[in-house]
Amino acid sequence: MLDRAELLGLFPEILLWDTTLILLVLGMMVARTPARPAAPFVRTVAWLGLHCVLLAIVLVGVGIPITINSIHDILLTDSFTHCCDIFLLVGTAGTIMLIVDHGGRDTLRAFETIVLILLSTSGMLVLISASDLLIMFIAMELQTLCFYVLAASKRDSECSTEAGLKYFLLGAFSSGLFLFGCSMVYGSTGVTNFEELGILALTRSWGVPDPSTGIPIIGILCIVVGFLFKITAVPFHMWAPDVYEGSLTLVTAFFSIAPKIAIFANMVRVLNHCFHDHDWQSLLFFASIGSMILGTVAAMAQQKVKRFVVYSSIGHVGYLCIGFAGGTTMEGIQSLLIGLLIYLFMTVNVFGLFCAVRPVRSQYLGDLGVFGKLHPLFAITFSLTMFSYAGIPPLAGFCSKFYLFFGAIRCGADVLAGLGVVTSVISCFYYLRLVKLMYFDLPGEYMIPPRLDRDNSIVLAITVACITLMFLYTSPLFLVTHYMAMGLFAESGVGFSGSVA
Amino acid sequence: MTAVNYLTFSTILFLLAIGGVLLNSQNLFILLMSIELMLLAVNMNFLVFSVLLDDMMGQLLALFILAVAAADSAMGLAILVTTYRTRGTMAVEYATGMKG
Repeated sequence: MLDRAELLGLFPEILLWDTTLILLVLGMMVARTPARPAAPFVRTVAWLGLHCVLLAIVLVGVGIPITINSIHDILLTDSFTHCCDIFLLVGTAGTIMLIVDHGGRDTLRAFETIVLILLSTSGMLVLISASDLLIMFIAMELQTLCFYVLAASKRDSECSTEAGLKYFLLGAFSSGLFLFGCSMVYGSTGVTNFEELGILALTRSWGVPDPSTGIPIIGILCIVVGFLFKITAVPFHMWAPDVYEGSLTLVTAFFSIAPKIAIFANMVRVLNHCFHDHDWQSLLFFASIGSMILGTVAAMAQQKVKRFVVYSSIGHVGYLCIGFAGGTTMEGIQSLLIGLLIYLFMTVNVFGLFCAVRPVRSQYLGDLGVFGKLHPLFAITFSLTMFSYAGIPPLAGFCSKFYLFFGAIRCGADVLAGLGVVTSVISCFYYLRLVKLMYFDLPGEYMIPPRLDRDNSIVLAITVACITLMFLYTSPLFLVTHYMAMGLFAESGVGFSGSVA
Repeated sequence: MTAVNYLTFSTILFLLAIGGVLLNSQNLFILLMSIELMLLAVNMNFLVFSVLLDDMMGQLLALFILAVAAADSAMGLAILVTTYRTRGTMAVEYATGMKG
């Protein structure tokens, strides 16, 4: 069956699955005993789950990132998946840390939230290293099924159930489209493995196109549309604002951080390995343009906090899609990964801040008024993150945008780079509006200073330090992402030819 | 020719399901049924291809899709029930509590 190396590569997933089961049994046993208040128990489970995720980071970290094809080639472990796993687990750990803090006093009453978060994280770990359409579909479904429940977790709230409903309907619709694409690809090629698909695509693009080429193009386009649904890129973004606004803030934090990493990693893998004849490229091109424009324009009009964050994250997805602009080139992928990592830090930070103001009434942006006086440290952190989102020079957000645009210009997508610069200049307007709100506006009526607890403060401190001090020493970031891109291209060996063309 | 007929049939089913999702504005149950129909069409596609190509992978995928579709509809119905409890209606056009 499994040999030793394969088993070692699967250790983080096994750890997460086992911990999920243990926590589930423990939770059920405690929940059945009466006279135990529920809220502190959520805290306990979250704390245990956090440690499990940290342990998983250690397990991934100490493992040697060699290329392993495990279980009949359906899982592929290499340096790319290795680092993506670490990104994902760091993001999850950040979110769970926020929950540890707020689980006690928040409306979060069910320990199952943590169990579902761990389960979907293990699904995303599998998704990152998936190397077959079958396992990719199953991992994606595991992740989204957990998300439907998480979105609808507050059963008595009208917004939360509606969010769950919308997420379910559009998620199931997109996975239907995705599966149709898979069936077309399978039917026209007869294989489902990424490596074999890549070899077939390569020979097909070299040879004379035969009449049956039409079918795989439909398949590829359906698969890419499924991906665009999942990363909330523009023509397929319509569910995101409602879902993100309706769910609990902590759940929204998880939604906007973790799946982005996993889906982007999987997307890079699929587009790089299977379909390098660039039928999909124009689709991503338009998605990128649309996301940048809509993210910018719509975020300007928002009054609610979470909708604002959603639209700004749609804009950021647009910037990240620039990384695909020149087909799958090394530089594009590297800038995409840099952008993804920095987006991760900024988003964890923003949600940490919003969780801190949560007990007041974090519905409207106007409620942030005079925080500059009430809690100066909060206001400074918030301003720094907003500046970083906007891409003001010494901060990390500037670095990510700069390398994305630079990569786009290098592979000749000047339109995308130009549009990206224009939209990010426009987006400065509303990011700065928030800063102005906090420092200069008159108070509204809900003026309770935000409460920053210990774990939340730790998360905020780490992320702010990363955002502000990254420009002093950027080489580790570039080395790691370069190493990841190398790992990705070492497998297929066709990306280099793509970069020439 | 038979293969083409099978594939045309499943593609038409798929398109009907997409039409059901996009055009229906009356009932959430119809949306759920359309989604099930979509997965069914895909499943049929996989089975036809599996027989056509003489390859087992398609049947394996079809079995997994069957399981996932069951989980999907269970979850969808549960979410529908909770929505009905808080909202009191099954109409699609009233599911707009969070505009703007």
